[in-house]
Amino acid sequence: MMRGVGVRAVLLVLTLGLASLPAAAGSRLVGTGGVSAIEGAAGGGLSPWAVLTGTASEGEFAVTAAATRADLSDYRLDVRGVAINLHDRLELSAARQDLRLDTLGGRLRQDVYGAKLRMFGDLVYHPLGVWSVGVQHKRLRDRDLPRAVGARDTRGTDVYLAGSKLFFDVIAGRNVLANLTLRSTRANQGGLLGFGGDEESGRSLVAEASLAVMLTPRWVVGVEFRQKPDNLGFAREDHWRDVFTAYFFNKHVSLTGAWLDLGSIAGLRNQRGGYVSLQVAF
Amino acid sequence: MLVHFFRIVALAGLLAAVPVAAQSSATLYERLGGQAGVAALVEDFTWRLAGDERIVGFFANTNIDHFVASLEEQLCAISDGPCTYTGPPMDKAHQNMGLTNAHFNALVEHMQRALIERGVDVGARNQLLGRLARLHGEIMRLQ
Repeated sequence: MMRGVGVRAVLLVLTLGLASLPAAAGSRLVGTGGVSAIEGAAGGGLSPWAVLTGTASEGEFAVTAAATRADLSDYRLDVRGVAINLHDRLELSAARQDLRLDTLGGRLRQDVYGAKLRMFGDLVYHPLGVWSVGVQHKRLRDRDLPRAVGARDTRGTDVYLAGSKLFFDVIAGRNVLANLTLRSTRANQGGLLGFGGDEESGRSLVAEASLAVMLTPRWVVGVEFRQKPDNLGFAREDHWRDVFTAYFFNKHVSLTGAWLDLGSIAGLRNQRGGYVSLQVAF
Repeated sequence: MLVHFFRIVALAGLLAAVPVAAQSSATLYERLGGQAGVAALVEDFTWRLAGDERIVGFFANTNIDHFVASLEEQLCAISDGPCTYTGPPMDKAHQNMGLTNAHFNALVEHMQRALIERGVDVGARNQLLGRLARLHGEIMRLQ
């Protein structure tokens, strides 16, 4: 019931946003909205950044939708997400994650509702970059397995602070985008294995960092790191890392490819594999 | 073996140092093509502004020759060329024009395209864009 209300509220917001869209895309430079992270917010692939989705600036709106697939050794993750940017001030997002347990059997589905507020600054123009705070409310739809392995809850809320800044003419004349995110979370494997555990029930403060080189104004390569808590006794949880490349065909379409190393997940080690994500923006 | 390795490293260092030394002795102004390069850049940029309906209205009461000369002088000064900017400060020059970030973004986009179109090398292009981006705070102060 609650889930239905949530989805309907997001659709209503999207409809209102679309109705007031100007004909052109947002005015911010191409790529300055990042891509869609797996939890729905604008960012890299694994970590939310301080930038807001799309290229909307003040007085403008942007709506983005993304489809993502990660193929790991023993798992496959599919994510569908939508996000809206209101005046480059507030971002609202919704994502549906579907993790297939190829080796263990079964699936774990989770919905993530996000909000991100730009507090101050600008990725390109402000000397301190752009700084935002965000929340991600996560609800598991498949709850039996997380409970069985010791998770305390099947829903939880992450809170994060993120800063992003573009540095000009850094490496071989290229601009470099740096992002740092601090997150307070109880999530096990991002929430797909529930929240809190037998070893640690409370919140952990974790750090996430991304570094991206703009080879051309439209082509980016970079690395990401996402620190993780380790709450469950039955299996170790590792930090996530990836190398990625993204190409922005224009302000409306971007394609991201990555190589992920997610470490040990639910007792299965060395979860590595490819990642591809397509984002469209209006 | 070790000596051989160090010789290779030293040689590689020398080879790497040559282009770096040549590049660092050139000012950004020279890398933009000096006076002729900056003049061509400003002309290209100005035509792009003239063709942009979001921007062109701001120039309705502007003497374009004066604007072009002033922008050339400013770009020359900001890129360490042999000029001193004699125009008004950036906040006064744009006072109460009703500029938004959307307008500023459009200007940056036009400058970026003009730099690419003029064939300015990527390092000089991004260095100039970085120096111009720093003007944002002053230009927007009195809006």
